[in-house]
Amino acid sequence: MHFVLLAGLLFAAPLAVAAGVSSSDPPVKQGEYVYRAAGCYGCHTDEKHAGKPLAGGHALATPFGTFYTPNITPDPETGIGRWSEQDFIRALREGLSPAGDNYYPSFPYPSYTKLTDQDLHALWAYLKTQPPVKQANRKHELKWFARARSFVGSWKSLYFTPGVYKPDATKSATWNRGAYLAEAAAHCGECHTPRTALGGIQSGMHYAGTREGPDDSVVPNITPDKKTGIGRWRARELAEYLETGLTPDGDSAGDLMAEVIDNGLKYLRKEDLAAIAEYVLSLSPVEHTVRKAKKPVKKEEFE
Amino acid sequence: MKHARISHCILLASVCLMTGTAFAAEPEDIIKYRQNVMKSQAAHLAATAAIIQGKVDYKNQLGDHVKALQATTKDIPSLFPKGSDFGETKALDAVWSKSADFQKLAKDTQQKADALAKVVAAGDSKNYGARFKDVADSCKACHKDYRKEEK
Repeated sequence: MHFVLLAGLLFAAPLAVAAGVSSSDPPVKQGEYVYRAAGCYGCHTDEKHAGKPLAGGHALATPFGTFYTPNITPDPETGIGRWSEQDFIRALREGLSPAGDNYYPSFPYPSYTKLTDQDLHALWAYLKTQPPVKQANRKHELKWFARARSFVGSWKSLYFTPGVYKPDATKSATWNRGAYLAEAAAHCGECHTPRTALGGIQSGMHYAGTREGPDDSVVPNITPDKKTGIGRWRARELAEYLETGLTPDGDSAGDLMAEVIDNGLKYLRKEDLAAIAEYVLSLSPVEHTVRKAKKPVKKEEFE
Repeated sequence: MKHARISHCILLASVCLMTGTAFAAEPEDIIKYRQNVMKSQAAHLAATAAIIQGKVDYKNQLGDHVKALQATTKDIPSLFPKGSDFGETKALDAVWSKSADFQKLAKDTQQKADALAKVVAAGDSKNYGARFKDVADSCKACHKDYRKEEK
């Protein structure tokens, strides 16, 4: 018992600095690192239509309809310029707007809730330094069943557990660091874990991939299953991939993952990418094929 | 019987087309060819990486791999003729609808492959890593906007 407590304390200490660059860096600098790790830019910027950074409007097509990400620049009218730090922390930790409305979980607060106070504080400090952009938010275009606000309330009671990441005292410091980065900041599971019909995370399928990813994409199985996942990748190769987008086969990341790497992961320190790789490759392998089997082309079809 | 007659008609029509106009490949065959060329690039890229990073000791073959990359990236847009957007392809419509931007990115890949081949030919080993990374980044830049993750 004492040992567990002691171990918990030992691991809690290095994790107190969490995703920050280092405790001695000013919050804005730490916040920039959290911002990269959490991939804020990618979703909150409509890069495809040359949108201004963080001004929102990026469309995310999902089985529930199309979400348009909001403006998170410090513009007081259209952005989050009038928010207090408490508003910001509540949004990420509890999925609630300053007015107390539930956010749709297309905003990955089920992951961000795990960020430490220090990281949220730093992220807020960084976002406040970004140039304000006046751009009104676009309304989501949702299917009928997802439009009712009570839908999100029920969703949250089923699938959302608020709370900071709890280190696993039985694992190493680097493993915990990787777990924190993957689960709280980089929110890998939001895309890589298949969802139920109600949009909740499917239990037992952690990181097993899905054919129903955002924008109709197929999101690969990244569990260490040798046949259907990335069980043949070595930790070093995975860390390199997260930095460069180059797979061990020489293929390159494309589509959403290229965006995630370009705007976020490639800015992380090598030891952090190695920690993520250590964590991901330590997960339970799940045999789950997401890619469509190649259909043999029947000759008759062309005659 | 009916089938046979239809086949004959098609055969005849094909012969007319082939003699009358330029040879037109089936889109499926173009797509397959394109994918094979791309796969060969990936394989040479991975081989190059393994040598440059010192994972394997085949320095005498480094030149072959980068020359292959240089040769196969020379004209990437030619792999995407109009009409080859239908079938088992991950190429997004943007390849054709934003053709100028696509060609610019393809040109960039070609130039980056040229630059890598140049430093390798000169034995300028301290620049291998940086020039290699340029090529990999260039591949990713294009795949980001123009390749869909498998449907």
